[in-house]
Amino acid sequence: MIGPTPAAEKPQPAVSVRGLENRFGEILLHDGLDLDVRPGEVLGLVGSSGSGKTVLMRSIIGLNRPSGGEVRVLGQALTALHGRARKTLLSRIGVLFQNGALFSGLTVAENIALVLKLHTGLAPVQIDRLARQKIDMAGLPQDAADRMPAQLSGGMRTRAGLARALALDPEIVFLDEPTAGLDPIGAADFDRLIRELQRSLGLTVFMVTHDLNSLVAVTDRIAVLVDRKIRVGPLEELLKDPHPWIQAYFRGPRAQAAHNAAGSGH
Amino acid sequence: MRSVTETSASSSRDRPPAWFDLEDDNRLRVGGVWRLAQVDRLSRRLERAGLAGRTVREIDASGLTELDSAGAQLLIRAAASPDAIAGVDGRFRGLLRRVADAEAATADLSRTRRPGGAGAPLALIGWRTVGVGLRVWELLGFLGQCTGAVAKVLVRPWTLDGRATLHHLQATGLNALPIVGLLAFLIGVVVAFMGALQLQKFSAGIYTVDMVGIAVLRELGVLFAAIMVAGRSGSAFTAQIGAMSLNEEIDAMRVIGLDPVGMLVVPRIVALVIALPLLTVYADLVALAGGAVVSLALLDIGIPLFLERLSNAVDETAFLIGLAKAPFFAAAIAIVGCFEGFKVTGSAASVGRRTTTSVVEAIFTVILIDAAFAMALSWLNI
Repeated sequence: MIGPTPAAEKPQPAVSVRGLENRFGEILLHDGLDLDVRPGEVLGLVGSSGSGKTVLMRSIIGLNRPSGGEVRVLGQALTALHGRARKTLLSRIGVLFQNGALFSGLTVAENIALVLKLHTGLAPVQIDRLARQKIDMAGLPQDAADRMPAQLSGGMRTRAGLARALALDPEIVFLDEPTAGLDPIGAADFDRLIRELQRSLGLTVFMVTHDLNSLVAVTDRIAVLVDRKIRVGPLEELLKDPHPWIQAYFRGPRAQAAHNAAGSGH
Repeated sequence: MRSVTETSASSSRDRPPAWFDLEDDNRLRVGGVWRLAQVDRLSRRLERAGLAGRTVREIDASGLTELDSAGAQLLIRAAASPDAIAGVDGRFRGLLRRVADAEAATADLSRTRRPGGAGAPLALIGWRTVGVGLRVWELLGFLGQCTGAVAKVLVRPWTLDGRATLHHLQATGLNALPIVGLLAFLIGVVVAFMGALQLQKFSAGIYTVDMVGIAVLRELGVLFAAIMVAGRSGSAFTAQIGAMSLNEEIDAMRVIGLDPVGMLVVPRIVALVIALPLLTVYADLVALAGGAVVSLALLDIGIPLFLERLSNAVDETAFLIGLAKAPFFAAAIAIVGCFEGFKVTGSAASVGRRTTTSVVEAIFTVILIDAAFAMALSWLNI
């Protein structure tokens, strides 16, 4: 969202996580985790399987009540809000779940229209018009609008999910492994789309991903979830981090290939 | 409207949150917060001013303080062309361009959407008819597959998956006892009650026993057991196989070289063909007991008299006819249930739809077979 920047000296972080703790029985997943997402940036979140990336994202968007710590989205604690205030805050964020999580009983256009209907009092014509706009912005052909999710390919479903996440022109979008299951060309397209939307809509993007190519191509900063905490910085900075997992991750053969590919592209 | 006032704090005090002025015929000045929350009000006012339809040749957008894709859509729909919008703040330029592209892409499609017309209902009837024909055709094909698979098991009984069959026998037979029993008892009570009330008028109350005996043994016992099983187990078969097919388990079986019909359908058919006759005998007994209770309470017919009258009124043929239908009903229910399960495609909604169809079709088929039996038997004078 493009709004007037307050004259304040330091902009308020889009998401701020302080001392987050998540415990599941014996397992301590996050232990005093801190993270700030700056407004207007694309932040990539990586970490080994089972390190709690998805739980971290779910804690931020209020689907998981952490066992300790504080999470603020756009300056407000989602879990503390109820009723109208909660709905208003929810309308300012968009979430793309893995594989889209489209409502399977509704067409693509109806999936998007549902969100608009819930949060605005617009006339059906207007809602339809906006839904079609979002479908185009997510890079889907217009004939996808009246199709059921089951009739779409995996890549199209992800795009339709993105269109639904963008329905209300949110300020932040959360993407959970958006390029998983896409072929490299489709994934590169999606990366470009995210970048383009982020620029034209002024979005803040929080992206859980394992796609090294997209990390290099799209993100401004990368947050690494290691040892139940976050280490965050631009790629160049993280490359200097001596942590063995980070070294293995960013210096591995696949990372080198991704980096080289990105380097030669410029 | 409340949302408008909420956002007004962020814009200047003397101006409404979103505004536009028509300076002369073709010059529009816009400003303020053009966002989703304001779009409803703005679009109404634009329409009232006759500006909603791509007519304005010049838009001065230098007053815009906030813009999102919904607001940008309104602007672009009011402008004769995207180039007509001037004075846009640098922050909004990318957004406006992107929205203009989206508008161009959606504009030509909204005109060509949905060919309807007078022929549409007729075409729908045609398609539905073709659909029904295809279904029957496919169902017959599936029936053939199942017959083949069952025949294979009959020739080589040791190839039958015994564990699966036992599991389904328990799920469809044993676990159905309480509900089938309750239903059968109530059926017996209702039939006896009706009979008693009517026949008493002619002082022929004792014939209630004949009526209950014949109705229950020949028709109602097996019919209601079958309907109950169709609702309980036929639907379960559809849902189970449907979920497996969503999970690509069926495809995995085919690739490994397992025959899904042999693996999934045959145990279910065998189990149901064993379970339903057993349930029928059970339902017959419980329904007769229900009839006996009513006879005792309403007509003072004691249990010994009831049994004596019953053995005079009905011979074993009535019971056997009822029992003979059970395996046919069972096979029909199992085959329809499994068939619909295999037809599940794509989504969770499909499972629900198929399950409904499965129950409706299974009960329909059961009653169809029952009617066929009745006609055949009357032709044979049994």
